[in-house]
Amino acid sequence: MTNSIHHYDVAIIGGGPAGQAAALVLDQNGARIAVIDEQQRPGGQILRQPPQEFAMAQSMKGKSYTSLKSQLRAFEALNRCDWIGGKSVIGIDRSGGTVDLTLASGDGITQVSANRLLIASGCYDLPIPIPGWTLPGAMGAGGLQALVKAQAVVPDGRVLLAGTHPLMLIVATQVIAAGGTVAEVAFDQRQSFLARLLIKGAGTALRNFGLMLDAASAWATLRRAGVPVTFGQRLSVIEGLNRVSSARIGKRTVHCDAVGLCYGFLPQSDLPRLAGLSVRWAQPTGGWAAEHDGWMRSSVSQIFVAGETSGVAGAPAALLEGQIAGAGIALDLGLIPMDEAEAIRRDAARKQIRVSRFAALLDRIADPTSALTALRDANTILCRCEDVTIGAVETALIQDSDPNSVKLVTRCGMGTCQGRGCEHMLLRLAAHKRGVGPNELRGFTSRFPVRPTRIGDLIG
Amino acid sequence: MLVEQASTGSGASGQNAGSLHFQIERRFLERKGGLGLEGEQTATLSRIAIDDWSTLEDRLGVSLHVHMNGGLMVAENADQVAILKAKADRERAMGLSVETIDGAEARRRAPYLSEGIVAANFMAAEGHADTRKIAPAFATAATAAGAEIQIRTRLTKLEWQGASFRAEIIGSEGAFTVGAKKVLVAAGVWSARIAAMANLHLPLFPVGLTMSASERTPHFLPHLVQHVAQRLSMKQTEAGNILIGGGWPSRLHRVDGIFDLSRPAELIIQSLRNNLSVATKTVPRVADLNLIRTWTGVTAVTPDQLPIAGEFPTMPGLFCAAGGSAFTLGPTFARLVADQMLERERDEADRLLAVASPARFDSLNGFMGR
Repeated sequence: MTNSIHHYDVAIIGGGPAGQAAALVLDQNGARIAVIDEQQRPGGQILRQPPQEFAMAQSMKGKSYTSLKSQLRAFEALNRCDWIGGKSVIGIDRSGGTVDLTLASGDGITQVSANRLLIASGCYDLPIPIPGWTLPGAMGAGGLQALVKAQAVVPDGRVLLAGTHPLMLIVATQVIAAGGTVAEVAFDQRQSFLARLLIKGAGTALRNFGLMLDAASAWATLRRAGVPVTFGQRLSVIEGLNRVSSARIGKRTVHCDAVGLCYGFLPQSDLPRLAGLSVRWAQPTGGWAAEHDGWMRSSVSQIFVAGETSGVAGAPAALLEGQIAGAGIALDLGLIPMDEAEAIRRDAARKQIRVSRFAALLDRIADPTSALTALRDANTILCRCEDVTIGAVETALIQDSDPNSVKLVTRCGMGTCQGRGCEHMLLRLAAHKRGVGPNELRGFTSRFPVRPTRIGDLIG
Repeated sequence: MLVEQASTGSGASGQNAGSLHFQIERRFLERKGGLGLEGEQTATLSRIAIDDWSTLEDRLGVSLHVHMNGGLMVAENADQVAILKAKADRERAMGLSVETIDGAEARRRAPYLSEGIVAANFMAAEGHADTRKIAPAFATAATAAGAEIQIRTRLTKLEWQGASFRAEIIGSEGAFTVGAKKVLVAAGVWSARIAAMANLHLPLFPVGLTMSASERTPHFLPHLVQHVAQRLSMKQTEAGNILIGGGWPSRLHRVDGIFDLSRPAELIIQSLRNNLSVATKTVPRVADLNLIRTWTGVTAVTPDQLPIAGEFPTMPGLFCAAGGSAFTLGPTFARLVADQMLERERDEADRLLAVASPARFDSLNGFMGR
């Protein structure tokens, strides 16, 4: 562990749209910034970039990407801002007066210290413990998309996309563009609302907005390519001996070699919770969103949040929150006067109205609640790190419905991922058992290190 | 009736690292004057605890992952070896079976130990058990035996009313009152606050500790490993994780000058780094394992480091069992304090628990208890 600590005015965790937007505001106002990301290059999940040495055509052609791309170019042109790529923040310590971050990578441990911290660490695929979900070949649609974006890698054979989220239409076209084959895009929900929105316009201006616009054009592309897009037939089981070979969609068996599960996204909440931020249960996907004030200040002094960390609302919303957080931090540090900060916030807040209406609509369309409620197969693994089944958890819940007791008794959530995969489902089961909402339960305690870290790197 | 504010085992009994240590503890050696007399005094209790742990799984009828494959307390230099030898002499005199072995013999029995280890005290009865399982197993057995266990239920008032105690309790279904002839306070770090409800001082002070778990790895470490001069405990769980602890501090939260027990203690990164350094110096191969989780827990210590178990002389009928080493000694405290409460072989229980009796702090309660 090196002992040289780099000090900054602001450390930003996450190089996606929110982190970039905040960095642009802060850089313009003279702040010394470090942006830390687990990826080697900026972009976040939405504009995930291939490694520099890869010569690869940009696969993200949709219109919703345009403003995000121009922001990325502006961010990459910043020369005072330190980009710290390929590192994970594994710990946050405020006891010394500054916000001290411990960073881990294959090269060992480093430390970064800052007066203010912005957590804009994004989201991840909502894990769905459906029978067969742990078979090789089954993955989150976001993970599938990451493979396509960063490496132009597509799974061999036929890819099935299943879930509730319209993003899977876009992922399907990206798989095809990268040379893959899509067996089917299967929506869990009935056609009515989504289709009205995508095909007929449904009398809302939101139809022409962001992801929906791309989803509509993706659907047209899939139709032309002869890919079936189905509705109202639920994926109930993924089958295969050593890897995925088929899936049950409604009463049909669909032969496929990979399944992308697309039911929505959960905020990455390990760092916010490790730092003691107040969080709320995020509806309708679940997971924990950080609470904040009008300047994106969290409940803990010196720490701000933006983007999916404050609740998954998509890249355009993240960008606006990043701008507000940037202005809020600049104001806090005395870098800009109130009227300038207010001007930035007012401008962003005005745009937020439309963006948040869209996010609310998308939440309604993509609501995974009914699909999740159907997941009660006792033999299905819920915690894949420790091989704990849904049945084992339900048995433990009979004795004590406290999620943290169930964790101790069953080891559900005690593995290397610290519960990122299973916590949301355990909380839903516990809430159901107790007859309350998951928001009334205490989730797992987030622990250092947020990512598994080699012990030899930490000593000293 | 047993009243628990959270869930059974959610406090220190579920958060400690599960050591079954029967040698005189290293913390007793930290005091001036070398080998602490206090540590020696617990040797009798340790002897009983060995029997209790050996039979616990049979008595409760479930697997608790109790492994008593021996414990090694290691030394790295001549000064430390001298302490080991003196300690072993005293322990043998107290009836504990401890042998001092050299580095080569230690590595023959425990090939994972570093070349830097020059000697170790080996005690065959030491080991570890699964802290996740103990309290729930006791709870199940107690319920089966007819006890009523109320979890997520909080005591708010405790009064002696001349002939019996009156306890006010708030549970999920609302508040209720219970009368009892006898009350046992076994609330770990919260015990002092329960005693205060009865207008008694109980000198128990909270301390935050640090424990860590590695990823799972194939079993290679069957023993409990401790260090005679540094804070260290290591063992491998049934699942294969290496647990690392040994008394490295974490930081308690404070509110208005009072320790806030409602929040987990805060990790001190340097504390963890030091703990991992001692661990890798003792067992080098853990350096290549991933750390997956470090957690903090809060336990309680007394002014003389000895536990408190027994009846309050100022308030007969009120009993206590708390104050350190209570994972290793917990089942023994439970059995002996139960004997006291039931007036069952009371003299024998009093004799065995004399070292831990609350009577030694009775002067604090000269103005209290009414």
